[in-house]
Amino acid sequence: MKRIACYAALTAVSLFPCLPAFAQDYSGRTLVVGTWGGDIERLLREHVAGPLEAKTGAKVEFLLGGSGDRMSKMVAERNNPTMDVTFQNIYEAPAALKEGLVVAPDAALVPTAADVWAGMNDGCYAMSLVGLGIAYSKALFPEAPEWADLWKAEFKGKMAYAPYPSSEGDGMLAVAARIAGVNEHDPDAAFAKLAELGAPVLSYSSLDEVFTLMDAGEIAAAPMISGYVLSNLGNYEGIGFVFPKDPGPVLVRDMVCQVANSPEPELAQMFIDLALSVETQTAYAKELNFGPTNSKVELTEEEAARVINTPEEVKSLLQLDWSYVIEQRSDWTDRWNKQILGQ
Amino acid sequence: MTSRFGKAMLLAAVLAILLFLLAPILVLILSAFDSGNVFRFPPKGLSLRWFETAFNHAEYRSSLWISTVLGLLSTAIAVGLASLAAFGLVRGKPSYRLAMEVLLLAPLTLPLVVWAIALLSIYAQLGINGTLLGLILAHVTITMPFAARIMIATFDEIDPNLEAAAKSLGASPWQVVRRITLPLALPGLLSSTAIAFLVSFNDVVVTTLIAGAGWITFPVRTFSRLRTEGIDPTTIAIGAMIVAFTILVIVLGQRLFQLSRRL
Amino acid sequence: MKQTPDIKPIATALLVAPAAILMFGVFILPFLFLVVLSFWSQAPGSVGMTPSFTLANYARIIGDSYYLGGLWTTLWLSGLVTLLCLVLALPLARWIVLHAKRSKGLLIGLCILPLVCGALLPTLGLVNLLSPLGFINGALKSMGLIKTSLPLLGNIAGVSIGLVQAFLPLMILPLISTIERIPHDYEKAAMSLGATRLVVWRRVLLPLMLPGIVAGSLLVFCASLTAFVTPQILGQGKVVTFASLAYQQAAMVLDWPFASALGMVMLLFLALAGLVGALVSRGLGRRT
Repeated sequence: MKRIACYAALTAVSLFPCLPAFAQDYSGRTLVVGTWGGDIERLLREHVAGPLEAKTGAKVEFLLGGSGDRMSKMVAERNNPTMDVTFQNIYEAPAALKEGLVVAPDAALVPTAADVWAGMNDGCYAMSLVGLGIAYSKALFPEAPEWADLWKAEFKGKMAYAPYPSSEGDGMLAVAARIAGVNEHDPDAAFAKLAELGAPVLSYSSLDEVFTLMDAGEIAAAPMISGYVLSNLGNYEGIGFVFPKDPGPVLVRDMVCQVANSPEPELAQMFIDLALSVETQTAYAKELNFGPTNSKVELTEEEAARVINTPEEVKSLLQLDWSYVIEQRSDWTDRWNKQILGQ
Repeated sequence: MTSRFGKAMLLAAVLAILLFLLAPILVLILSAFDSGNVFRFPPKGLSLRWFETAFNHAEYRSSLWISTVLGLLSTAIAVGLASLAAFGLVRGKPSYRLAMEVLLLAPLTLPLVVWAIALLSIYAQLGINGTLLGLILAHVTITMPFAARIMIATFDEIDPNLEAAAKSLGASPWQVVRRITLPLALPGLLSSTAIAFLVSFNDVVVTTLIAGAGWITFPVRTFSRLRTEGIDPTTIAIGAMIVAFTILVIVLGQRLFQLSRRL
Repeated sequence: MKQTPDIKPIATALLVAPAAILMFGVFILPFLFLVVLSFWSQAPGSVGMTPSFTLANYARIIGDSYYLGGLWTTLWLSGLVTLLCLVLALPLARWIVLHAKRSKGLLIGLCILPLVCGALLPTLGLVNLLSPLGFINGALKSMGLIKTSLPLLGNIAGVSIGLVQAFLPLMILPLISTIERIPHDYEKAAMSLGATRLVVWRRVLLPLMLPGIVAGSLLVFCASLTAFVTPQILGQGKVVTFASLAYQQAAMVLDWPFASALGMVMLLFLALAGLVGALVSRGLGRRT
């Protein structure tokens, strides 16, 4: 019996030499995906892990934490990785590739990567587009503020920031630099300008902390990344969010990476392929207000208003020299600690 | 000497301290009944919806289970090893007692994140990164200082003459341990077990880095969501239920204990 | 004064060995790795490490009041928290042992509740109580006692309150198990011999409680020293602590060599403090 089965298998293999990889049976194998907890995990389970498990028989497990934790994990485990796929921030992806921790994006391995807006797969695959805008207290700003409005004297010392290093912090520095007439390559000017806003009311560990105080007008504004902020606005009447125009919102991307030398490279590629698919990207936009990177996604007008999804919109965004910024990481952290928080 | 006034003052102070200790938890429990989507106090509308989601949330259920199993395993090992070592150090009075005491306390003096990164690097070299074994070893190490310190204090308090007396009356070493040492050490054992379990059950930093994907504990899940979206009210409801469950277990446990004594 | 052991050296070694082996493998080995790491460096923009000997990390810490200040703040903050915990836990623990008869178990249970649901959730509860819009400020304002909110968050006061609340159980439990072992009549005997309450405490009760006090204090001190979540949330990024610095450098900047060096400098401080403490207690011991 067994032998017959073997022959059958052999014949099948020889008859279909160009069988596509995904038709293979992966049952008993496990793909490990590192990501953020909460809605992202839920959406990935629903739209990516579920279908992948059904198609391949493999099991998908999620490893939850912050993106910094995952960078640490990749570096510590570089000889013997346990993660196959990891979601990282825009500024971490190029550094991870340079260090050889992730596999360079390749549309030959991940077909849907070809549908991603040109030039966005920098270091890893671009998963979602979000912009750094301003969350503001409607009591203090009757009209949606521009970046420059934050520098009005009455708002001094009434800002809130995410703990540094973060894309929010780097983005805000770049904006401050633009307001001062330079760009992020002049950190002296950027920090001096940002310091003019005064020490923040707080560095927040979670959105709740800021929003409660902002709702009551104790915090005037905070540079925040669209997405969760937009989904949270329904809970607070006194808070607005705006994408400013001068300069435009800072473009921030979530990236999805294939970890180098991971145990399940093919499953990882299939996972990423599904993550970048029109279906998943549409769900991200509809449920999380995260802009799709897949150029083929079509949204209703109402949905499109809340996310960044067209090439024109992307063009209006402020794009940072992230590889320069990451090189300044240590120095800027010192400056942030002392000149912004400790002033 | 002890006037009624003095007694009343003492009682008031005790109540005030208890209130201080429990106020944040009261806030937590009350907020769990809030009908809104965010954590706020006082609650604006009452509802049980977050308890409902808590029960229906398969991921939270499984991570609570994982935290419990991990906590129990690590606590059993940590308290066991710590008790043996503490007994040896106190009764044996070896020249290396101080050095060993310092070593047993040392994991508490390094920031966990730094230590966990180094441990993970070593695990990766040995190929035990992401395994349950590696995770349990890490948890035993972070709970050991608590267990060991309390057990050392416990054995320090027990008069060795009691053991010697029992021995001289013909008790075997095992009988001495079972009849004399263990009953006397029981309060300390319970304290160190409770603290060790809770330290393991609540750890975020070490578990986030060391645990493999199959071992996402409740605090890791809570914290990873908190950092992106804010606190999930479901977590608050679960926290409130853990508090209620703990109180229930203690009350029942005490009743049973008293019953068993009466029998 | 060397005491005679109650068990044989070989038995002692066998009892201590399992814990010692575990601590060596899982704590000392990574620790040695960190020692080495603290002498390495990291190229800007890289997340890897350059394995060549340098003192740059230590020079950066010692030459920068920001880092030394953070370590120093953490040290005295932990001392303060330990002292506060001791002052609060002593009467509470004693009262529970002496006066709480049937409700003892329940009271002990209530005391450990802050540990039951992690540092995170009670800390968030505290934020609600302490914030400018919170319960305490609201109550004081409505009673007309204050006009503007008291700043209870984002400063040492807030962090201390949070740490005391979080770690008080670590002091209460060892104290309770110690006090339970003190025979009730010692105190009565001393009092009947004419000793004042103060003398009873100083000469009888405190010395008997010493193991519990030492255990509780060490646990609270060390736990405060490396606490991360509570100071981070209640300090709102404005209170610089050892753990927040180490976390920022290790997990966010990914500069592990520098983070390791921070840990080593703190250990050095602790060793010095321990040495001074040992010398002082020896000096005191000689006088009495």
